[in-house]
Amino acid sequence: MNQENPQDELADLEISFTLNDSQVRVSIKPWETALETLRNKFGLTGVKEGCGIGECGACTIVMDGKAVNGCLILAAQLDGRTVETVEGLSSNGTMNYLQKAFLDKGGVQCGFCTPGMLMSAKALLDECDQPSKKVITNALSGNLCRCAGYVQIVDAVEEAALIKSKDAEDQAVNR
Amino acid sequence: MTDTNFSQSSSSIGLNISRVGAEEKLQGKALFANDVVLKNALCLKALRSELPHAVIESIEVQRAINSPGCVAVFTGRDIPGKNRYGLINKDQPLLADTKVRFVGDPVALVAAVSEDAAQTALSKIKVEYKELAAVFDPEEALAPGAPLIHEKGNLLGKRLIKKGVPDLAFQKADIVIERKYQTTFVEHAYLEPDAGAAFVDQSGRITIYASTQNPHYDQVDVAKLLGLPENMVRIIQTATGGGFGSKLDINTQGFLGLAAYLLKRPVKMTYSREEAFLCTSKRHPLKIVYKSAANKDGRLLAIDVKIIGDTGAYASYGLAVVTRSAVHATGPYEVPNVHVESVFAYTNNSIAGAMRGFGVPQMAFAHESQMDLLAEALAVSPLEIRARNILRLGSTTATKQTLTASVGIGACIEAIAPHYEQIKKSIELTKTKNLRGVGLGCMMYGIGNTGVQNPSTAQVELQPDGTITLFSGAADIGQGSSTVLTQIAATELGLDSNKIDLVTADTGMTTSAGATSASRQTYISGNAVLDAVSKLKEMLLTEAATMLRTGRASLTLKNGRIENISNNALFVTLEQVVRKAVTEGIPLKWQGFFDPDTTPLDPDTGEGNPYATFAFAAQLAEIEIDVLTGEVTVTKVVAAHDVGKAINPDCVKGQIYGGVAMGLGFALMEEFAPGKTVSLKDYHVPTFSDMPDVHAIIVEDAEPTGPYGAKGVGEPALIPTAPAILNAIADALGSRIYFLPANLERIMKAIHSGTSKPLKIKLMV
Repeated sequence: MNQENPQDELADLEISFTLNDSQVRVSIKPWETALETLRNKFGLTGVKEGCGIGECGACTIVMDGKAVNGCLILAAQLDGRTVETVEGLSSNGTMNYLQKAFLDKGGVQCGFCTPGMLMSAKALLDECDQPSKKVITNALSGNLCRCAGYVQIVDAVEEAALIKSKDAEDQAVNR
Repeated sequence: MTDTNFSQSSSSIGLNISRVGAEEKLQGKALFANDVVLKNALCLKALRSELPHAVIESIEVQRAINSPGCVAVFTGRDIPGKNRYGLINKDQPLLADTKVRFVGDPVALVAAVSEDAAQTALSKIKVEYKELAAVFDPEEALAPGAPLIHEKGNLLGKRLIKKGVPDLAFQKADIVIERKYQTTFVEHAYLEPDAGAAFVDQSGRITIYASTQNPHYDQVDVAKLLGLPENMVRIIQTATGGGFGSKLDINTQGFLGLAAYLLKRPVKMTYSREEAFLCTSKRHPLKIVYKSAANKDGRLLAIDVKIIGDTGAYASYGLAVVTRSAVHATGPYEVPNVHVESVFAYTNNSIAGAMRGFGVPQMAFAHESQMDLLAEALAVSPLEIRARNILRLGSTTATKQTLTASVGIGACIEAIAPHYEQIKKSIELTKTKNLRGVGLGCMMYGIGNTGVQNPSTAQVELQPDGTITLFSGAADIGQGSSTVLTQIAATELGLDSNKIDLVTADTGMTTSAGATSASRQTYISGNAVLDAVSKLKEMLLTEAATMLRTGRASLTLKNGRIENISNNALFVTLEQVVRKAVTEGIPLKWQGFFDPDTTPLDPDTGEGNPYATFAFAAQLAEIEIDVLTGEVTVTKVVAAHDVGKAINPDCVKGQIYGGVAMGLGFALMEEFAPGKTVSLKDYHVPTFSDMPDVHAIIVEDAEPTGPYGAKGVGEPALIPTAPAILNAIADALGSRIYFLPANLERIMKAIHSGTSKPLKIKLMV
């Protein structure tokens, strides 16, 4: 795409940040959004555009531990930050506990909201060990889903929280 | 509640197999249409009318063509084939030729090297219009002297249903209640805006990747637009981010086909959310005048229903909604005398087409409100009046179809009854600051298209290595058809479902399964798969019997082997059978077909058997209303659905939860204003915080003609929710709302209408 767009030759900002555990450096336009950069420059098409105005949450990424809308963040704001996208959740092709819980509880239908949901859930569970249902629904209320009616998504996040706390207990015992 | 018992070994029917494709989606690997990368693809953007009705005097494109990065600008004149398409009526131009008929009608198409360049070129196209008088109400559109939207007139279609002698029944009735109900345009709001990509392959075939519910229909209409034979167009469905009916239409596919064909270059088009709002089809707004008659025991004697629908500028699936809304006017009740007239008109509003339920959700709002009004007037409980009137085995519907099997509405009502009684009691006993109410909603839904042929086909192939490939044209848009079809094939062949390779919804690889609509894929495509797989199974058993020198009846398929039922040491593997079949020229690929047994409706009386089977459901909603703000909180929904057989219970429940959410939006918040609503800021859909506690109950009254007894659930899931919520609101307020959505303003008006309970309650407080 870069060769196609003559304006890309005029890129005038260079940023570097940690993207899914790798250090990256990239040239961007000052007006480019994080969503555009992640999709177009890094091929991270798991970051979805549903509305472009921060209403649907499909482009949610985790930046320095917080869930943010990729469409509302300028690419320039990624400089020096730690950024996580859905592509960073699996390791060596194996899904993590959160993804497995979504699969197990039927939390995926069309799948377009799924990456954003996962990232909002990840930010929550990284910060909070055993969130109540209310805490979960609040934390995820910026993510719209039109297929699933949210029920199995809440079930999945609750299940993931359980797995996570059980893993933590097991680790403590083994130590 | 019957449960069909299939003693098949390694059956995956009734198991919660993970959804096909879910792992890719969870890892961000699934390719949606906008994720498809075609090298050097041009960006397509459409210029759209800002006027609702106007003649195009001229389109000046030269400045746009000259703008940097612009490769081409197309108008209606550039379309090589017939510039008309549509799901039933071919009345919609891909690019306007003589005039525009709604705000959003496409006038020109730009192809450019980047999105910015396309946007710049768009701004340089100059269109001269002569504005015409416009009409935005279907009744006005049908009045003499109304502005003519299409040359053939503004009437889209009309459907009559007549049964018995309604006039006489109305005269003899103990009670007659007549009310007018109204609904608005509703937006599908699938999370993925329409998108696609296209290129011309080495053989010259136009290959289109699309977000679609209807690949084989897309192929036919795109070929006609381009004036090409159908086999020169290939549609490949990408992962599709929801559809709910609006991706049955051609949205980006026609533009992609046109530009790829004329430019012989790869192209890509992604709708902005604004375009997805403005330009794609919506749910039809209906005006329903509903008159019911009953005797003092609460038995329905007659209904007389007039439905007026607005299909907007083009027909889309409108004609199907004309008929389906009429056929479903009685709801799941046996009514001896029926008169229904359904009339839909063109207007200069946005296009209304298919949306989950095809008019039935609107009708259910009316018939369920009527049932509660009758119950109240006759001092019978809402549960009781429904139980007295429901369809049973042997009942005849409004179209005089006799129901001979799988009529589970009674079981659905029984399943929710204890919850209803318990909530009713709790409301009486507990005093709260907010007003509380509970309401019921029931429905029936005919599976498949109405009184027309709507077959599905499938193929199953035994591969040289003994593996199985299933080919189905069915587009899975998230609802789970791929999962269900896999489970059916796996079970018949005695395999785990992960042993089936699936190829779906690619017109180059599969034959038509019909549209993913009308809740038809499990029942119709499920049966087509079953047919194909049964033929393969026959061959396997026959060959294995020869190889094992035994009778076919003593053999079974299990874990990739055909083995003796009583001695599993006697077996042959699928690979062994393949080797034999190959050397003997025995076919390895088998074709399946199913078309539900229906008859067309009589044009004058509506008489006929439009569906081979019906799904049924009953839901209750418990709500609270803050009388100061008018805010309605739905606290609980109990949803009982007769699906015949749940092939995958988690998928069925997923459909029910999603349907309840969409029904809640339809009831309380969703209203689309044509030409005005352009973003999710203006249009609110339910979020996590809006969801009630949902208790889904699966009722299985097996359908003898269904695969393993299955019917369908996609649309039924949504239909009873809004009526249940509206009845609960009436229960809480003591006054009824007849206009959807029951938003804050309408709730406040109902609270202060003077006839409602809250004023009294407020005085007591």
